[in-house]
Amino acid sequence: MSVRVLNPNAEVLNKSAALHMNINAAKGLQDVLKSNLGPKGTIKMLVGGSGDIKLTKDGNTLLKEMQIQNPTAIMIARTAVAQDDISGDGTTSTVIFIGELMKQAERCIDEGMHPRVIVDGFEIAKKATLLFLEKFKTPVVMGDEPDREMLKMVARTTLRTKLYEALADQLTEIVVNSVLCVRKPEEAIDLFMVEIMHMRQKFDVDTRLVEGLVLDHGSRHPDMKRRAENCHILTCNVSLEYEKSEINAGFFYSNAEQREAMVAAERRSVDERVRKIIALKDKVCKGTEDNFVIINQKGIDPPSLDLLARAGIVALRRAKRRNMERLVLACGGEAVNSVDDLTPDCLGWAGLVYEHVLGEEKYTFVENVKHPNSCTILIKGPNDHTIAQIKDAVRDGLRAVKNTIEDEAVVRGAGAFEVAARQHLVNEVKKTVKGRAQLGVQAFADALLIVPKTLAENSGLDTQDIIISLTGEHDNGNIVGLNQHTGDPIDPQMEGIFDNYAVKRQIINSGPVIASQLLLVDEVIRAGRNMRKPT
Amino acid sequence: MKELVTFQVGSYANFIGSHFWNFQDELLGLLEDPQAHLVFKNQNLDMDVLYRTGETQQGMPTYTPRMISVDFQGSLGSMSSSGTLYNHNPSSSSRVATWTGNVSTQASEPHKKNLFLQRLYDEGQETNGSEILDTDVVKSLEDGVQFWTDFSKVHYHPQSLFELNGSWMNPQEFNNYGIGRNTLSEGLQGDEINERLRFFIEECDHVQGIQFMVDDSGGFSGVAASLLENIEDEYTNVPVLLYSVRSPNSYNNLTSRKLSITRNLHDAVSFSALSSLCKLIVPVGLPSLSESKVSQYLNVENEKPYQSSAVYASAIHSITIPFRMKKVGPTGESSNESGGMNLYECIQMLAGQGRQNSVAVLDAAMPPPSMAAGRFQQPLLGNLQPLTPETAHDVDDSQAIESLIVHGALGAGEHEASVSEVSEAVETEYESTSSRPRFSHLSLSRCPLPIPLPFPSIFNNLVGRRGDLLLTTPTESGSSSRRGSLDVHSIPMAARLRSTTAVLPFLENRLGYIRKFGIERGSIGASVLTSWGFGREEVEEIGENLSKMVLTLDPQQGYSSDDSD
Repeated sequence: MSVRVLNPNAEVLNKSAALHMNINAAKGLQDVLKSNLGPKGTIKMLVGGSGDIKLTKDGNTLLKEMQIQNPTAIMIARTAVAQDDISGDGTTSTVIFIGELMKQAERCIDEGMHPRVIVDGFEIAKKATLLFLEKFKTPVVMGDEPDREMLKMVARTTLRTKLYEALADQLTEIVVNSVLCVRKPEEAIDLFMVEIMHMRQKFDVDTRLVEGLVLDHGSRHPDMKRRAENCHILTCNVSLEYEKSEINAGFFYSNAEQREAMVAAERRSVDERVRKIIALKDKVCKGTEDNFVIINQKGIDPPSLDLLARAGIVALRRAKRRNMERLVLACGGEAVNSVDDLTPDCLGWAGLVYEHVLGEEKYTFVENVKHPNSCTILIKGPNDHTIAQIKDAVRDGLRAVKNTIEDEAVVRGAGAFEVAARQHLVNEVKKTVKGRAQLGVQAFADALLIVPKTLAENSGLDTQDIIISLTGEHDNGNIVGLNQHTGDPIDPQMEGIFDNYAVKRQIINSGPVIASQLLLVDEVIRAGRNMRKPT
Repeated sequence: MKELVTFQVGSYANFIGSHFWNFQDELLGLLEDPQAHLVFKNQNLDMDVLYRTGETQQGMPTYTPRMISVDFQGSLGSMSSSGTLYNHNPSSSSRVATWTGNVSTQASEPHKKNLFLQRLYDEGQETNGSEILDTDVVKSLEDGVQFWTDFSKVHYHPQSLFELNGSWMNPQEFNNYGIGRNTLSEGLQGDEINERLRFFIEECDHVQGIQFMVDDSGGFSGVAASLLENIEDEYTNVPVLLYSVRSPNSYNNLTSRKLSITRNLHDAVSFSALSSLCKLIVPVGLPSLSESKVSQYLNVENEKPYQSSAVYASAIHSITIPFRMKKVGPTGESSNESGGMNLYECIQMLAGQGRQNSVAVLDAAMPPPSMAAGRFQQPLLGNLQPLTPETAHDVDDSQAIESLIVHGALGAGEHEASVSEVSEAVETEYESTSSRPRFSHLSLSRCPLPIPLPFPSIFNNLVGRRGDLLLTTPTESGSSSRRGSLDVHSIPMAARLRSTTAVLPFLENRLGYIRKFGIERGSIGASVLTSWGFGREEVEEIGENLSKMVLTLDPQQGYSSDDSD
């Protein structure tokens, strides 16, 4: 209240009002995202003021699309989005877990507990849960040959929450293969080496894995081949267009001839570079039917294109910077920055290069490469919002596979972990805690149940029955999850439902932190807001 | 050297851009209109410089601006971000192809199209009898422009319109450089914009440069700086001409001292960052356009961006004219225009020689006086007034370099003056001025600025139908003191870019801000700068950068830190 003395315009919310503001915001956000969760969740279609459509079942995308204004909700949303940045998934779970922690805490506070005590309980429970997770996780050995089946199960679990089953299953194979394609022993997996390309086509949805690369542009010369087999690939970053050098000031020539001479000299140096490339082509292709393709990061102007076309070379200009790396990984050879030291060793190889044209959009496929360490996932869909949604799902799937390989562990899904952790907290941990912090542990344990509860709710099942039957099974020592079709307990291991270890760990880690911070807020001061309004 | 790519970043930049493209669209329309005046037929401007040719998947040819617009989500009003040309199956798109479970739809209330847009999109379709009149359209625009798309008559390519999202804040809070930087560095939005730029540049046979308009009054300057960094990296030799634009509204007085310090620091940081990332920067946007000398023949309401942006767009349009003059014959001269140059040459002339000053002042005369008997009826150079804020008047700068563009100037009897006539008249004026610049380049065209229907009514009653200046006010002056597209069909324009010491106050103010609030020990703004991610050294670098720019223009000045403001 003393703030009022300093600034009479400041708005102050006192202790209980501040707390309830935070709790309500958390619950509100939970309500919005709750229906997203799981393979039976609801997909959300957002239609903007101009009729633009966004389609999403991903908490992360949804949070970004929502114009959130409430400061508490923004804090939670930031945590959740950070969750996605770090582990690639689990945004929705984070939000509903935080919401549930706040809800459980509210009950205790209404009964007269001090938030500090609850927060202490949360802290104890969090540590215990993380320890439990270490014991609970299923280790996966990732030697030179990773367990494909396991990777597929993880990818399928993620994808089925974003796309309908048949489509998800089709993508599962693609996602796993592409991660294994870019995986190099002893190195972190760089998912950027998987290019995700899309094409708009009339009706159906189709996705395929191209072992090689798909570029979203084509050659810019009418005489260049549209399809070439047995290609030597030159990946380069060399300007093949006429540029004015920085020093000479364009129009202070004393006469037109002088200017022409300067221009011609500049032109010659470009032509020289082109000729060196043609010389290399003649060297490697001589006497064979082989073809030669240049993919350049810099520009190639029409006179240079002409020269190249006459020499029978296919040339693409202004390639993406990342494709330079990908091309080398896919085709071999190296990316060159100068034409001075060209040798046949710089060249990569592709069995087939061809162009595909859709209206003004051109695509160049570089396929049949020998040992691809880079690949492209090509998504075809009828419209932008469908493509965007599949793209998001593919990204999540890739992250899930990558996480599994790096964690060397997975966690049994379908709510099994949450129920097991809850029983562990209630049956074991709580007894070791002295005093009222026990209630905090209990609140935390109950909050964990929100995941199976929401899964049941979204499947139209009775949540109470489900929780009772699941906890009962767990107390008997059976690790079970929820069958979303029947509501019966199932063994996630048998069904192949696995979640990422990193995702679960991150949720358990960050959820209580943010919830505790929000619970400990005992005053909200809004200074400055009123001052900004013109009076 | 041919294609130009245009960037419009931020709300006011898009308002200006919208007018700019309306002019281009009008010129294209007049080129094909059999009834159009001859000067528009023989304009000899190469529209391919600004536009790209494309084709939809259905095989329909398209001709759309080579432009990327970046603005807040929701700032496109009733226009779809994928444009209007490339969507052909809106009906089937509402089906969800990826999910068999439940679907919940959240639709925001559709934005209603105003009368202008209604008429634009109903063209060629059966309307239910009620014809929408020009006067109604003009009136509805006067009262109700909310978004820049409300008055745009151009079709855009789907790659052109980018909506920035995920910022979770009010546009009012998106008010500083630091916030803008952060917004773009999170997630993939920066990559996505750079991809779109690549899309447009890949098509170009020989890009001559990028013209970049940024609303630098808030976070968009941070966004622009990130984009410019990428341009510098990827397209090293492509010159960038940057207009940092501001609406009169951005100068509103701030009541709190803290906010005004933040604003000042933003100005300094933003200018320093942007100027170091382009070849030539032109600050545009007066605090009070309506009271400035540019508005001699105008009647602008400062608080309406729809009106003020039209003035800046006209000047920027004029500046681009030399960049797209077709080269005719070996000498490059024709009876319709002269003085064509490309963006590189223009920048090289203004910033690349002598003092190497990379800040230019934009001046305009809207409209310039008519000619009679081989000279302007009023001095043309005197009528050119700055659109750049915080400039000094009456500077005597013997080192000045300028590039002047006059197009559509009227001669005796309401005929366009010939190119040679205008050129001689300008030459005469330069001869007689006291402060003659060291070097000046003159570009001339006979093609005036066409006034499209959605142009705001901002001319006062001294401006005639073809932009001629009426010496006597019409008798029935009571009817309307503001004239718009219905009364004025085209106007001549004169615009000028100047490299001059007149810009010193602008630079000195910014240097003062960073010294006073950022660099001095214990200064108030240090924490603000830290929160934007600037360490002490970087702040000092900004100070050095700015003081270098001042010294370039004024080597004598041993600048002392205590005479700011």
